[in-house]
Amino acid sequence: MQNTSRMALGLVAAVALANGAASAQKKEFRYPVSPGASISVANEFGPVTLRAGSGNQIVVTATRRSSKVEVDSTQHGNRVEVRSHFLQAAKPEEGRVDYEIQVPPDASVMVRVSAGPVKVQGLNGDISIEGENSPIEVRDSHGQIHARTVGGAITLTNLYDGHVEAMSVSGPVTLNNVAGKVVTANTTAGPITFSGDCAGEGQYSLSSHSGNIDVSLPASASVDLSARSVMGSVENEFPLQPPAHPTMAVNQGKSFAGTSNAGASSLRLRTFSGKIRVQKL
Amino acid sequence: MTCAEFQKALPYIIETGGNAEEEQHLRECPVCSDLVQDLRYIVEQAKLLVPMEEPSPKVWDGIKGSLEREGMIRPSRARGRLLGKKSSLPWIGALGAIILIAFGAFLFQRGRQTQPGAALETIATPPVQAISLETVATEQDDQQLLQQVAARRPGSAPLYESNLTQVNAAIADAKKRLGENPNDEDARQSLMRAYQQKAMLYELAVRAVQ
Repeated sequence: MQNTSRMALGLVAAVALANGAASAQKKEFRYPVSPGASISVANEFGPVTLRAGSGNQIVVTATRRSSKVEVDSTQHGNRVEVRSHFLQAAKPEEGRVDYEIQVPPDASVMVRVSAGPVKVQGLNGDISIEGENSPIEVRDSHGQIHARTVGGAITLTNLYDGHVEAMSVSGPVTLNNVAGKVVTANTTAGPITFSGDCAGEGQYSLSSHSGNIDVSLPASASVDLSARSVMGSVENEFPLQPPAHPTMAVNQGKSFAGTSNAGASSLRLRTFSGKIRVQKL
Repeated sequence: MTCAEFQKALPYIIETGGNAEEEQHLRECPVCSDLVQDLRYIVEQAKLLVPMEEPSPKVWDGIKGSLEREGMIRPSRARGRLLGKKSSLPWIGALGAIILIAFGAFLFQRGRQTQPGAALETIATPPVQAISLETVATEQDDQQLLQQVAARRPGSAPLYESNLTQVNAAIADAKKRLGENPNDEDARQSLMRAYQQKAMLYELAVRAVQ
């Protein structure tokens, strides 16, 4: 009797596994493109990962978790569109599609997601990512980079020579070694963390309404820095020379300003009611 | 016509269209042209979001009253095609608040771009008074937005509701501070950024429900 029960359990487990395997269906799409190609991806549930690939082609690998969701992938000239759409009402796990996409390094990408994480790596074209609660991560890239979320975390790492904009209402924004002509991070309530040397003789602006702003700079950073919290507080542990021509009133505990080295880049930190802290790396 | 004059007339241009001089400026000025294009996009997107039914007269009366108090409404003129379509009073009243949210943000930013270094007095309306235009219908449009999200994306509704609450709180904080300290440039910038955040939230919500 025990043997019979064990066999029955084993059979049930085997059927469940088989069903799981059958419902996860993988499809691959390959599109030949020329330089300057673009791809747009719209996915409600599931991760989207884009990496630089070799050759002049876009390769889309889509793994859907159930038959309730379908993948539409089309090419119009040098533009590829990928979209998940529901064939019927589906729960997040049923509507999930996992995307792994390889694109030429100079391709432009536009990604719109709801909940799944987005990762982009090694690209040099324009990158635009929008999500609701999705964590967004972009690394080792340069160019125009725009990331916007409602509450998802935005993490940008090793971006150089770029025009970077990160906006979130309540998600945390983290910038590690991000440099360029224009670097902007703005939140309403999410904290902002910046670590890097502000290279590139650029304009760096980090602002939050109530989120805290934490900045870590190496001693070699060449910045013209100003920080002010309207209703919160500021704290500086980074050596600065007083500005030669002050453009902002300095108020102990509420604002400070100064220059490090040649002051090649401008670093502007503003929060309405959060706390600003600048320290040495 | 200068950009400041054009932007000062923008609210009633949206309502009734532009005259020949305003259309000429639009052809010549890329900054104002971009502004109208952005507003056109918002109008088009908001039409998809808002149900095509006549809003409560209270919404339009409130907006109209504020515009009249600010001296921004003039007698109706012949319709133009500045936005590419004839405007329609019934739905534009409901969209007015949505437009004004983004309009407030754009006006602050672009007014400073077209007249670099100019004081904010050169912008169409003094900031604190411009703010009062937005408070008239914002709460109702927020509710409409949340209802649309709840109807079409129920799983996302709590996220939008909580974030909208945070953004509105930020706007209220900055407005209060600016009211008490009208020369506080950082408070003014905080308010502008809060409006931009709200415009972004609306834009993401509209895209989510499409």
